[in-house]
Amino acid sequence: MALLVAALLFPLTGLLAHVGPWQFDGETPGSTLAAVRISLGLTGLALAIVVVIGTPAAWYLARLAGSGRTLWEAALLVSVLLPPLALGILLALAFGPGAPVGAWLLRLGVPTSNSAIAFVTAQVYVAMGYYVLAARGAFESVPRELERTAGLLGATPWRVFWRITLPLSRLGLAVALSLAWVRALGEFGAVMVTSYFPAGMPVQLWINLQDSGLPAVMPLLLVFLLSALPLPLLAHLLARHRERSGA
Amino acid sequence: MLDARILKRRREFTLDVRLHVAPGEAVGLFGGSGQGKSTLLSCLAGFEPPDAGEVRVRDRILFPPPVPLHERPVGYLTQNDNLFWHMSVEQNVRFGVGAREKAGARPGPGQDDRDGPQQTTGDWIAELRQALGLESLWHASVRSLSGGQARRVALARMLARRPMVVLLDEPFGGLDSAVMRDLTEALSTWRSRLGFALLAVDHQARWLERLGTRVVAIERGRVVHDGSWEELRRSPPTEQMSRLLD
Repeated sequence: MALLVAALLFPLTGLLAHVGPWQFDGETPGSTLAAVRISLGLTGLALAIVVVIGTPAAWYLARLAGSGRTLWEAALLVSVLLPPLALGILLALAFGPGAPVGAWLLRLGVPTSNSAIAFVTAQVYVAMGYYVLAARGAFESVPRELERTAGLLGATPWRVFWRITLPLSRLGLAVALSLAWVRALGEFGAVMVTSYFPAGMPVQLWINLQDSGLPAVMPLLLVFLLSALPLPLLAHLLARHRERSGA
Repeated sequence: MLDARILKRRREFTLDVRLHVAPGEAVGLFGGSGQGKSTLLSCLAGFEPPDAGEVRVRDRILFPPPVPLHERPVGYLTQNDNLFWHMSVEQNVRFGVGAREKAGARPGPGQDDRDGPQQTTGDWIAELRQALGLESLWHASVRSLSGGQARRVALARMLARRPMVVLLDEPFGGLDSAVMRDLTEALSTWRSRLGFALLAVDHQARWLERLGTRVVAIERGRVVHDGSWEELRRSPPTEQMSRLLD
């Protein structure tokens, strides 16, 4: 096990590699900070959309039985299994300015390529399936009998959700959110096709690597790792702690 | 108080039971395992829908169409405590008590026209807490409770709303006989005072007899006896019933 963990974590030693003096920005001054701001801001927005739309969908899926459920799950799995680059191309073809929807949105002043909207759209598409499937598992872990009992004690369905379902599934939901966060923040393939600009962290890393080499990559790489890892790690540690304490 | 006819298809037979329980009356639902008793209670509670029939509590029709759970004046206790494990004992017991009632008004769905003690919710919960020995556990997490303590909390939580109909599905299974006796006595006292209709399922005839004098015996989804325990013991309607009563 120790060997496996050591092997898995070994790439992190790359942060200590001698690549010459680190350059905070690549060729464009201020690009690193701008990339961090764009990534965190737009990923936050994408996650909000994913949670608002995905949570009720996950709850509905968790309560659904029969073939309908299988069909919905299969559809969600397609979105999860699509290779990111392929998804990016498909998004560009479906929503780009050349497509009817994209052209119509452009006429309304909503550009669907190389814009914040295109960036968020790609992230939502990338993260939604992961979030819904993981959140569905979290909701399924709450026994139906507890919810029914709460109902019979006079709680409306809305109150049952807030007082029973949500608190009892919150750790699973945190894991779902972490998954979605990592997928959205780290997305490169789909975002690069639909929204090369504004450049978020993954695309800026690519630009820096191409233009200036490794010294210009390292600072942003560090920030990228620090912004991607803490949330999932915290969710995992919290879940383990709760499990051990039986809380 | 409770008038019901439940039709529900099961794999081996169709449950077809007609039932009337008067206010303040306790009825034991007796029969072997797998004869439809628990399904009947589950349908009456609204946990699963009957295929057909009617459920009425006083003048309120609960089925058909099925009335949402939160509008049913029914308390339901099963072998599973179904306590909300992220809450304390107090939060569990108070869960079904609305904000208006917490402020001191009389509680319960559709209770205004019922006979019963003019007691505020706070007093009623204090009585439950004391009678069921929950004082020392009041602020504890329900995860730390023993089986017997958890049953007492579940009972208190169900009664806190003062339901019109109480359904018990082997709620005291696994408890020692002294605890069962105490809880049965408390339940009988509250039934007389609050006037709720009580329908209880158990495989132990002795416990059901202590709860009330009337028994409805069920076999393969049909009522084979509706009368006193004495009559049932004197002339069991079927061989299986005779064996169960031995």
